[in-house]
Amino acid sequence: MAASGATNDEMMDIGGAELDNNKNEKMFTLKKWNAVAMWSWDVECDTCAICRVQVMDACLRCQGDGNRQAGGKQPECVVVWGECNHSFHHCCMSQWTQQNKRCPLCQKEWSIQRMGK
Amino acid sequence: MSLRPKHVNFDETWGTLRRTIEGVVTLSKVPRVEWNDRFTDVYTLCVAHPEPYTNQLYSETQTFLRKHVQALRTEIEKYESNSSLLKVYYDMWVKYSQGVEYLNKLYSYLNQQHVKKSKLSEADITYGGVTDMPGHMIEIGELGLEIWRQDMLEKIQDTLIELVLEAIRSDRRGDTAVSTTIVNGVVHSFVAVEDPKHRIPGDPHTHLTVCHPFSASPTFYEKAFEAPFLQDTGRYYQQEASKLITTCSVSEYMEKVIQKLNEEDMRARRYLHASSYGKLSSECHRRLVSDHLSALHSECRIMVENDRRQDLTNTYGLLKPLASGLNVLADTLEAHIKKEGLEAVGNLKPETAHMDFVESIILLYKKYKDIVNTVFKSDQMFISSLDKACTAVINFRQCTKNPCRSPELLAKYCDALLKKSTKGYSETEVDEKLSQSIIIFRYIDDKDVFQKFYSRNLARRLINHLSHSMDAEEAMINRLKQACGYEFTNKLHRMFTDVSVSSDLNNKFNDYLTKEGIKLPISFSIMVLQAGAWPLQQNPSPFAIPQILESSVQKFETFYGRQFNGRKLTWLHHLSSCDVKLSYTKKPYFIIMQTFQIAVLTSFETCDEMVYRDIREATRLTDDQFVRHLQSLIECKLLECDDKEFTQDSIIKLNKGYSNKRAKFRISGAVQKETPQEVEQTHVSVEEDRKIFIQAAIVRIMKSRKVIKHNVLIQEVLQLSNGRFSPTISVIKKCIETLIERAYLERTPNSADEYSYVA
Ligand SMILES: [Zn+2]
Ligand SMILES: [Zn+2]
Ligand SMILES: [Zn+2]
Repeated sequence: MAASGATNDEMMDIGGAELDNNKNEKMFTLKKWNAVAMWSWDVECDTCAICRVQVMDACLRCQGDGNRQAGGKQPECVVVWGECNHSFHHCCMSQWTQQNKRCPLCQKEWSIQRMGK
Repeated sequence: MSLRPKHVNFDETWGTLRRTIEGVVTLSKVPRVEWNDRFTDVYTLCVAHPEPYTNQLYSETQTFLRKHVQALRTEIEKYESNSSLLKVYYDMWVKYSQGVEYLNKLYSYLNQQHVKKSKLSEADITYGGVTDMPGHMIEIGELGLEIWRQDMLEKIQDTLIELVLEAIRSDRRGDTAVSTTIVNGVVHSFVAVEDPKHRIPGDPHTHLTVCHPFSASPTFYEKAFEAPFLQDTGRYYQQEASKLITTCSVSEYMEKVIQKLNEEDMRARRYLHASSYGKLSSECHRRLVSDHLSALHSECRIMVENDRRQDLTNTYGLLKPLASGLNVLADTLEAHIKKEGLEAVGNLKPETAHMDFVESIILLYKKYKDIVNTVFKSDQMFISSLDKACTAVINFRQCTKNPCRSPELLAKYCDALLKKSTKGYSETEVDEKLSQSIIIFRYIDDKDVFQKFYSRNLARRLINHLSHSMDAEEAMINRLKQACGYEFTNKLHRMFTDVSVSSDLNNKFNDYLTKEGIKLPISFSIMVLQAGAWPLQQNPSPFAIPQILESSVQKFETFYGRQFNGRKLTWLHHLSSCDVKLSYTKKPYFIIMQTFQIAVLTSFETCDEMVYRDIREATRLTDDQFVRHLQSLIECKLLECDDKEFTQDSIIKLNKGYSNKRAKFRISGAVQKETPQEVEQTHVSVEEDRKIFIQAAIVRIMKSRKVIKHNVLIQEVLQLSNGRFSPTISVIKKCIETLIERAYLERTPNSADEYSYVA
């Protein structure tokens, strides 16, 4: 469907918009870029295999707690990567390793490679 | 005077005493000295030596009083059936009852010393028949009244009552020939002639408690007067009602009935003992209202439909005292609100559907809220009629296949109000309208569907800086939180957090650039959004980012990688925008446009005409995306094309003669219109979220309960999801199964329908 190209009479604050009368000026001068990016954990699978919740969201237990801080996410409910490169919620994995020291996905011995921040 | 007991001649002393008491009961003047002497005589007789004359004194006095009353009756019988009987009786009664009261004082000693001793136990009172018990004494005053009842009142009560009833009947006709004082006095003599200890206390509030232990048997007043009075009244209003109902409209009938009930209440206060007030009103009410209930009910629908508030007020007042009298009216109101509501939102024009939907429901709600408050006195029953009707209208689905549109429309309404260009509304108006939208929100069954749509709109506002005020945004989220709880607005809050975190990040990035001595070719600002919290589309197309932007991407990624661990950034170019200055036009223009649009437009840097295919290849956009953005630039006249339909070989020209009365503006560009697929997508993702919500709820319940029965668990999950959505039992069961599979809970070995939490 074609989008509407009608001009919109909103007043905008245009950054760096001072006039310069350079004769060699280009036809189009890009003054400011309002970029948008999304961050996510650098994981192979974006669902935690233990609780089946997206790793970007708080783990199931943290959600069950109805945690009220930081938009429902506990600061420590981050992602953890093993040496095997598998990743899980840190909360889920801590609970898991109390019973079993192996990675639930590849059965290799679990050791932490890095933690999300 | 000596108080010591002595020999007394009874006949002599009684003779003197008797002369005085004759004077007392006829209210003749008794000199103080004489009174004092007789007072002493009573004492002397009661303490006489060797034998006190108490019993003799008591029985002589009784005989005296009886003779006196009988004499009075002989006199009154001359007036039989004559209306002046009432007056004669009243005068005699006033004189006698007062005289007896004095007499009671004269016999103080006897009363105190002898009556008190033989005072009856409560049981005796309850089982009655006291006065006939031989050897029992009652106070002289009471004795006098007792004798009046037996020898006067009971003998002439039929005649007397008929006269009283006639007097009250004439009062009802507006004729008050007989004095109120007289009728009232006569009626009250029925109460007074019975020892208050033998009667129920004259408490008007106890008239309904039939089983009161002291009212097990009716009092003399109730039996002799009240019963025939109520019967007569009932008969009277029965006739009145049938007369009125055939000659008046229901509306007029109610007015008259209210007037009559009022009058009768006043009449009760003029004539009756307080214990009769309630009984009289309910008798009248029964004859005038209950007996004609179907006539009143049959009019309810028309009254509601025509908004006849006075009639509704009357109906409410008249039916309220009946046990289930208001059901029909409340149901009628509910059905009517529902009908009116469905009509109002039945045919919405697509472009203004969100505005029309919300505003007509608010209007409907306000109108009936006002009626409920004023006409129905905020009665719970009618509040619930309004609630049920609003719920039905707001959650109405034309057919069960399609989801209800209200959540989407309400979210769109909020969006329209929170955007910058809210034409014509003041800040206060916007605030008020947003507050009111919560009224509708509360009635929505699927609040999570609303939340989805709301968060998509919020994302669009935040990313494109379209909100007219962040305070208003936050206030609205707080309203939702208040109405539906913290978890509900959780993701919305996270979006807000990202906005402020991003602004910090921009500052840090600028510091970093300065420190590293890096100069970017363009002013740069970024929003970094966390995945999951924002309802964003995937990148819709590959894209060759204009070269000038590339270094910003690289530098920021390096910076970001140093700030955080384990994160990756995905650039959402379809959401970003650029400020661009046009220098080829007569005067310069500063325009904000989307990055995709910029990529298309800057292809014309080196030549004024290009072929469709070449531009598309340069930008690497998909055909679909490319067409949208090209089209948007042609629509706002920055580019031109002669072909109606693009082909790969269409010639696109730069419009060098472009002009606009504004120098700085935004072209709203190819904002993705909401497609039906997207709406459907939203509903699908709601289903996913519901599952996670239910699972989290189960984990939370299990964590605190440790062991729980299946049914209790289901109930608690339902409770937790209440006000957000209504999960089906089967979905909850599936979630329980999933959690058992994943070892969050297990079935307990001893019972088939019990689970325990696996910590
Ligand atoms: Zn997890
Ligand atoms: Zn967690
Ligand atoms: Zn592994």
